[in-house]
Amino acid sequence: MPRDPNKGPRSRKQEAGMELTEEGRRYASEGLPEKRLIGLVSGGKNSIVQLKNSLPELDIALAWSKKRGWIRIEKGRLILVKEPSGYPEQDSLKMISEGKPVPEEMLKTLESRKLVVREAPHIGEGRALHGKEVAGLTPALIKTGHWRNVRFRPYNIRATGEKAYPGKRHPYNRFLSQVRQKLVELGFREMPGHLIESEFWNFDALFQAQDHPSRDWTQTYSLRNPRTGSLPDRKIVSQVRQTHENGWKTGSTGWGYKWSPAKAAKLMPRAHTTACSARQLASGVDIPGKYFAISRCFRPDVIDATHGVEFNQTEGIVIDPSLDFRSLLGLLKQFALEMAGAEEVRFLPDYYPFTEPSCQLSARHPELGWVEFAGSGIFREELTKPLGIDEPVIAWGLGIDRLAMFRLGIKDIRELFTRNIGLLRKQRVF
Amino acid sequence: MPTIEVSRGDLCNLIGRRLSMKQLEEAVLYAKCEIDSADGDTLKLDCKDTNRPDLWSAEGVAREMAGRLGRPGLPAYRVGKSGVRVLVNPRLKAIRPYTVCAVVRNLNMTPDVLSQMIQLQEKVSMTFGRNRKEVAIGVYDLHRITSPIKFTTTAPDGIMFMPLEFSREMTPAQILKSHPKGREFGHLLEGMREYPVFIDSAGEVLSMPPIINSDYTGKVTRETRDIFIECSGFNLRFLLPALNVIASALADRGGKVETVEIDFGGGKKLVTPDLSPRKTRADLDFINKVSGLKLSMAQARKLLEQARYAVKAHGRRMNLLYPAYRQDIMHMRDVAEDAVISYGYNRIEPVPPRLATIGKTSDMETFSDRCARIMVGLGYQEILSYILTSKGKLFTRMLLPESDIVEIENYVSENWNVFRNSLLPGMLEFLSRNNNQEYPQRIFEIGECVLPDPRQETRTRDVRKLSLAFTGNSAGYQDASGALEALLSNLGVPFSLRARKHPSFIPGRCADVLLRNRPAGMVGEIHPQVLNNFGLKMPVAALELDVQELNALSKN
Repeated sequence: MPRDPNKGPRSRKQEAGMELTEEGRRYASEGLPEKRLIGLVSGGKNSIVQLKNSLPELDIALAWSKKRGWIRIEKGRLILVKEPSGYPEQDSLKMISEGKPVPEEMLKTLESRKLVVREAPHIGEGRALHGKEVAGLTPALIKTGHWRNVRFRPYNIRATGEKAYPGKRHPYNRFLSQVRQKLVELGFREMPGHLIESEFWNFDALFQAQDHPSRDWTQTYSLRNPRTGSLPDRKIVSQVRQTHENGWKTGSTGWGYKWSPAKAAKLMPRAHTTACSARQLASGVDIPGKYFAISRCFRPDVIDATHGVEFNQTEGIVIDPSLDFRSLLGLLKQFALEMAGAEEVRFLPDYYPFTEPSCQLSARHPELGWVEFAGSGIFREELTKPLGIDEPVIAWGLGIDRLAMFRLGIKDIRELFTRNIGLLRKQRVF
Repeated sequence: MPTIEVSRGDLCNLIGRRLSMKQLEEAVLYAKCEIDSADGDTLKLDCKDTNRPDLWSAEGVAREMAGRLGRPGLPAYRVGKSGVRVLVNPRLKAIRPYTVCAVVRNLNMTPDVLSQMIQLQEKVSMTFGRNRKEVAIGVYDLHRITSPIKFTTTAPDGIMFMPLEFSREMTPAQILKSHPKGREFGHLLEGMREYPVFIDSAGEVLSMPPIINSDYTGKVTRETRDIFIECSGFNLRFLLPALNVIASALADRGGKVETVEIDFGGGKKLVTPDLSPRKTRADLDFINKVSGLKLSMAQARKLLEQARYAVKAHGRRMNLLYPAYRQDIMHMRDVAEDAVISYGYNRIEPVPPRLATIGKTSDMETFSDRCARIMVGLGYQEILSYILTSKGKLFTRMLLPESDIVEIENYVSENWNVFRNSLLPGMLEFLSRNNNQEYPQRIFEIGECVLPDPRQETRTRDVRKLSLAFTGNSAGYQDASGALEALLSNLGVPFSLRARKHPSFIPGRCADVLLRNRPAGMVGEIHPQVLNNFGLKMPVAALELDVQELNALSKN
């Protein structure tokens, strides 16, 4: 910390003033405990039990009286050995309360008994300070009113103070909180999720064929420990199986292959948030209903400026009999305007195994130009019906990492998880 | 998502119209493509539909665009007979059981035709064919082949032939060992005692699928006019569409497609390709319900014809024919999307859904936010770490014995191959990167850990934890325990401390944090050996708590 050049070290010399403590003031008026004890003993009270009742500070009184050799204790009774010739401490307390000086020796004794405190120099020299310049305002100056009589030395007001780093939320989390807040404002309820999922929830329930390329080991992680989980409710499993094999009652041809429950039970780190949506649909939804999840997902990407070890996905679903492709476009446009401050939107045909029609939302950002902002579509019957949903479900996912990078002015995705406290300390609070 | 290169001039020739860049940008949307970049005449297209290999070549993209730009209706493909036969050895059953084939004659092999054919073959076998596992494709000069062709097996050193672009003959075993394609795709034949091979009646080797063609028969050049195509694999579900996609593309180039008879033995025969249109049905009402458009039958018919369907209307229903190169139509919904794409996504007026629903963040997020606010108030900086980490960080550096933990099988990096069961190692790791930054440093994190739990459906349980660390010259136990007291009293959670021995902490300076007399976290001063292991130079006091447990108590 750079010191103010005008500020000198405070002096604690002998001219320091002194003041009675609360205890000191009490003894000044009531008398020191040892003085009162001698009085009582001289007056005939000598049993310790009796004395305890009439003298709360008996322990202090005994300690000092014994030290001075005035009394001794025999069988619970006090015996006066020597009458004290006077009580210099008592006198000194009086003098101090009257503002008179006392010898340094005496001061030290009283200080050690916590009956006196030395004050900052200003007080004792209150009058002496009259019209003088002082370095700092002290509680004593305020209390005594001497502040009226002094001048305060001007500081170098441009000298930087001690560097302070406030506690802050992580910028990425702060951003995600804002997204969460926005979605709640739009009527979305947050869905729970699992970091580890079965392939069933990550793929099968989403009508991704078991030999679909996106289920290749190069595209997703699998687990070494634990390897397999259990499948959910038998009815749902059977409906999903039939839908894959022959379309079941969904109006679909199905994929036309033999579905394997063993493959579906394999565990994997969640590869996309759609797994949360599938679980939510299967566990029951309100109609109309809006749900969202912001969740960490895992894919075996080689880490570079655009691929982190993990990434966050934001996904939502809306369920209602009234929904169609126009509502999907309406919702997407709302997001682009509300969440990204886009000036213009464009819809592009897209593909996801579990949505049809599928749509990519591109938004024109004032600074970034056209950005791919969201993927979306209407869930296929092959997904919804086996999970017990007959109403249309529209689903959307936002490229939340990319949006965050822009918001935080970050070029390299790895910086979202920066381990540099300097950067975090510098990051502005938005 | 496949990315393909096409020549802009070639594309316009195929469509039969010159299109400006702006018009092209709009028109490629019909083929679910987006122009990634343009370099002179070369366009790089992102093909978004991974389930439509027919759209991964100039021919396919042009076909889809032309339908909407003035040449609607079902493309007609006439298929003659080539007389070429393929005999399949039943021994292939466990090796690579199926092949489907075609002959295409009278091709004018311009550079565009040749490059598109090679690119399509490559994209189909890599993406749709799972890196040649499900579909390997060979294209050959028909005039160098004598029918019938045998699809049979060979021992690893059973035959010799000159692989493509090589100048010496090699055995299959040598190819797998030293040819670049052998090294790239050899794993697909791993553990097999015999390898698949195409040999013609003159004893000439065509190829060893799914690895490499022979240089003699399997080399197609600008001079080649007539070709033989084979796709081999395990499943007709993938092989037939792959063959149809390539044959249709070459037919669009003016090639004359002819069938090949494939004899699997035991009376089982297949004649391929079958490019006759496929049938399906659609309801006008369904299309309108999905799209939100109010199309008349005439409008819907026009939109579907633009998407290359043939439409016969019956009342409000339609009988449809669609081209054989499509294998993606499984549901009326797929037809509906084609109609909407023809209509144009950007011509549709977006109507936001007006639904009265109540939004809500999850309890866990709301509670975590409360905790974070207190931590921020205590002057702690929040950090964010990856959930994946390594055993070295979780156990070795923390002086802990290895325990049951969730591990990834096919990890990319050993630094990120297990799921963390504690936040503390990540906190220390973070501090270790900041030895040169100003002290004291106060950090906290709230995040998910994953623990094995055999009672759960996923055999694992996510546990949200909160951790804090304080480091600096004078950091000590009381810094962490003081923050603990401040956090819990502000949450209204009563707690007590019980001395604990923990290898990561200094003995006598570590405690369990008890909530309702059950341990829900720990607090202490990190052991100097652990500080050494992480390369830390200052004492560290730290705390870790189970947020779920806190939440449960905080509500009461």
